[in-house]
Amino acid sequence: MPLIAIIDDDPDILDASSLVLKSKGFDVITALNPNDGFKIVVEKKPDLIILDVMMDEPDDGFFLAQKFRKEKIQTPILMYTSVSKTIGLDFDKSEMVPVDDFVEKPISPDELVDKVVTLLKKAEERK
Amino acid sequence: MVKILVIDDEKGIRLGTQRLLEEDGYLVETAENGEQGIRLGTSINFDIIIIDLKMPDYDGLEVLKEIKKAFPNTICFIATAYASYDTAIQSTRLGAFGYIPKPFTPEEFIYQIELGIKQRTLILDAENLKLEREANLLEIASEKSRLNTIIKSIHDGVFVINKSGELVYYNYAAIRYLNLADIKIEIGDSILYKLPLEIIAIIDKILNSDKILLKTYTSQIEILPNNELVIEAACTPVPNPDGSLAGVVIILSNITQFKKIELIKSQFVSMVAHELKTPLAAVQGFINIILDDSISINDEKRKDYLIRSNVRLESLTALVNDLLDISRMEIKTKQREIEDVDIKNIIINTLQLLEFELKKKDLFVDSSIQKKISNIKADYNEITRLFTNLLSNAIKYNKDKGSIFITVNEENNFICIKIKDTGIGLKQEERDKLFNEFYRAKNEKTRGISGTGLGLSIVKKIVESYHGKIEVESVFGYGTTFIIHLPINTN
Repeated sequence: MPLIAIIDDDPDILDASSLVLKSKGFDVITALNPNDGFKIVVEKKPDLIILDVMMDEPDDGFFLAQKFRKEKIQTPILMYTSVSKTIGLDFDKSEMVPVDDFVEKPISPDELVDKVVTLLKKAEERK
Repeated sequence: MVKILVIDDEKGIRLGTQRLLEEDGYLVETAENGEQGIRLGTSINFDIIIIDLKMPDYDGLEVLKEIKKAFPNTICFIATAYASYDTAIQSTRLGAFGYIPKPFTPEEFIYQIELGIKQRTLILDAENLKLEREANLLEIASEKSRLNTIIKSIHDGVFVINKSGELVYYNYAAIRYLNLADIKIEIGDSILYKLPLEIIAIIDKILNSDKILLKTYTSQIEILPNNELVIEAACTPVPNPDGSLAGVVIILSNITQFKKIELIKSQFVSMVAHELKTPLAAVQGFINIILDDSISINDEKRKDYLIRSNVRLESLTALVNDLLDISRMEIKTKQREIEDVDIKNIIINTLQLLEFELKKKDLFVDSSIQKKISNIKADYNEITRLFTNLLSNAIKYNKDKGSIFITVNEENNFICIKIKDTGIGLKQEERDKLFNEFYRAKNEKTRGISGTGLGLSIVKKIVESYHGKIEVESVFGYGTTFIIHLPINTN
């Protein structure tokens, strides 16, 4: 079963998201901050990363995504945002933001699973 | 064709000069007395008029005066057989161009008339030029009126462009706001290509429209990058007296400060939106799971999720209350209830209210307050809020069995309050951002401490609204001290 890493500093969101994915049969690992997040991704090599954009700093998630790409980690990234337009950061799927899709919180379980399945399928086709 | 009027009571002179002038191709009218002369001379715009000085009904100078009143640019000659120095001076003073002594030879007469015509042409050319310049608004800049001085000195930029796109007027502020100080600019220059594109577009629209609409078009323009200088240009057509388009007047206002406030406001709104949405998203995440039949959870887990949802909703309520406090405070600086406030009392009352939290962490409170502390004039609720926020922080971020030291002293005209805790302290970078809205120190030691991120920004707002000062000293891992100075004679 695919392994999914969720990196979010909100323990409630982390719990709810991982429960949803686990109940659909995915394996889930979690981290509460960018540093731990980087570590689990490097160690466990998940098939997909779900990343919150705002952690300690408003753009921590964004920088972590860039760091993954710089380190040649091409795992698909689904980025969580709670306000799509935040201070000074206007996101769209441009090359500047090396993520594969965005979702705005809150997200329903079905939607989350849909996004995850779609991204995993795309990654599979690329191989 | 040059039109000449001869006013003379002597028939011989009238006929003689008429024939002479008509031979040279001039159009000639005659009048046989002063009354007729005035009637003709004031109703038709003659180029040249020859007036006999002595007539039975009118004095020639009287006739001259009337005609000059009606047509100041008509060239008038006084003809007389009784030439005297006095009348010569008087007639010149009344506007006569020349003096023709009788009798005269045809050559002398025609020579005088030709001089007059030359003068008339000069006057008319100058007149036309002036009218033309007026129509092109080019005269505005040379007007030496007080109004001009006023417009030159006003804070907003003003400049005017005529319908050919030439600069016809500007003041100093306009040059400054358009960032044209380094470029040599003169009245009459074709200025359009030196202006920001936004203004050119509007001016083009006004100059090229068929109908002149007295409507103002505005545009906001970033003159210097990074919003260092932003102006608003308001362009309005200037009509001629006949209603046709004469040009465009452009008023430039510096709106840099408004833009900055606008940006701060929209940043604040999106931060608030984010802070409100985060707990909502968490709660909704839990509820979604509980409602989703395809996800099975046990009762214990369900209860845990409900409790955690409740905690998030409580923090959301606290956040909304803080936000309301901030907006209330912003309104309230105008409508406060100012009274004599005893700070010592407020601190004691606040500690009593926080008794439960103090006991829970088993904290020791040491307060040393000078015996005689002056009251300050302030709003009781605001000062209470100030100390509630600081003291509850001193509790929340303290370690178990820690201490809180409170001192209150009077120093010069200030009351100085120090609140010191033995808690987790602040890192340098945390201290710098401490008073920012929604900032919360996040590190391994603050995990699990709840807060809205607004408490200290409210504290700072209150202190500063009373012209006071707040400082923070801290060593990470050992504790934090807040030092507040409040002026005593505050109104």
